[in-house]
Amino acid sequence: MSSPFYEVYEVFSKKTDTSALQHQFSLLAPNEELAFVMAKENFFRREQAADIWVVKRDHIKRMNSEEKEAVKHLEKSYRETKGYGYLKKKWRQYEQEQLTAKDIMGGGEG
Amino acid sequence: MITSNERMDHFMNRINSGEKIEADDWMPDDYREALIRLISMHGISEIMGALPEKEWVPKAPSIYRKLAIMAKVQDEMGHGQLLLRVAEDLMEPLGRNRDDIMKDLFSGKLKFHNVFHMKAPTWGDAGVIAWLVDGAAIISQTMMLGTSYGPYGRALKRICAEEVFHAQHGESIIMALAEGTKEQRTLLQDSINRWWTSLLMFFGPKTNVETGHSHQDKNMRYKLRTKTNEQLRQEFLTKYVPRVWALGLTIPDPTLKFDEETSEWQYQQPDWEEFKKIVTGHGPKSKERLALRMRSYEMNSWVREALGTSKVSNIAR
Repeated sequence: MSSPFYEVYEVFSKKTDTSALQHQFSLLAPNEELAFVMAKENFFRREQAADIWVVKRDHIKRMNSEEKEAVKHLEKSYRETKGYGYLKKKWRQYEQEQLTAKDIMGGGEG
Repeated sequence: MITSNERMDHFMNRINSGEKIEADDWMPDDYREALIRLISMHGISEIMGALPEKEWVPKAPSIYRKLAIMAKVQDEMGHGQLLLRVAEDLMEPLGRNRDDIMKDLFSGKLKFHNVFHMKAPTWGDAGVIAWLVDGAAIISQTMMLGTSYGPYGRALKRICAEEVFHAQHGESIIMALAEGTKEQRTLLQDSINRWWTSLLMFFGPKTNVETGHSHQDKNMRYKLRTKTNEQLRQEFLTKYVPRVWALGLTIPDPTLKFDEETSEWQYQQPDWEEFKKIVTGHGPKSKERLALRMRSYEMNSWVREALGTSKVSNIAR
């Protein structure tokens, strides 16, 4: 996927130290250094950023359409709390409230 | 083995259920073509659109105005960068890239918005461009925020956020002139008179009767757009005509009025033959601005050659 007109870089950033890394957009640049300059020019003229990453697109393994279709239909309620929703009613029969996620996690500070 | 009909059905189902199409997904050829046409025209219009405004950077009336209009010009070039990137990913399977977009612009094959072929001789024009041209652009861009093509929608989201600043920068210039001296009000009125027809033309003809062809229907079927040219123009009139009048300014169309019965604005149709001439490169500033763009592309070609990963073709040769 090499382009004769520079190369494609994907730009990621996070707003603050604690926020998650987010994909911003892509850009064309001849090398990493200029990709970085362009990223700041193109996407952070106003927005705040605690960190910026640029990654050559060729270095990213992405899903193709078939792979995307395949992950769409995965049923995994057995891994999620919503698969255990019926317990609330059950506990009521025993005159008990079901412990919430917060109760189960105990005193930990989020 | 998937048949082409099944592939097409799957594609239309995805679009109709609100899924977003991504660059690497299968798409019908005419969907790809419609996107390339729409987005490269939009992208190159952002870049050509910076030219009439950049003329006002050295002549802005105060340091604050100079900083603001510089920021706006920079934003427009940034929007061009975003949109060209979206177009390039669509063109990649066809073996085309940014160099080809530029060549198409210079050869006249790729057109840009009618408004950017026009003169901007006074500071009033800088205000009218930011307030009303950007105002018109916001109406057509927000309409496409929900577009079926994911990358275009994401680019538009970034663009629209900045357009709001542009419109307010324009309002601020207009307000200062409208509340200013008699000369300033005359200057502003002249600008509105000068830009009115171009603003009506901005949304394109109502039907293909006016210009002979239109891509509206296909673009609506593919959910690239959700409203017709005329619906957008009516929204524009509803939004801005009362505000122009409220400032004690006039619009150079004695037939302009809101028809309560049809709930539509009636207005004098612009000359669509003239529109065709303008967008095919025969507007008052078409040649000069294209020459400027071409010159800077040629002058910077050595940078691309020095830094590029492989040979870059040189359009100057």
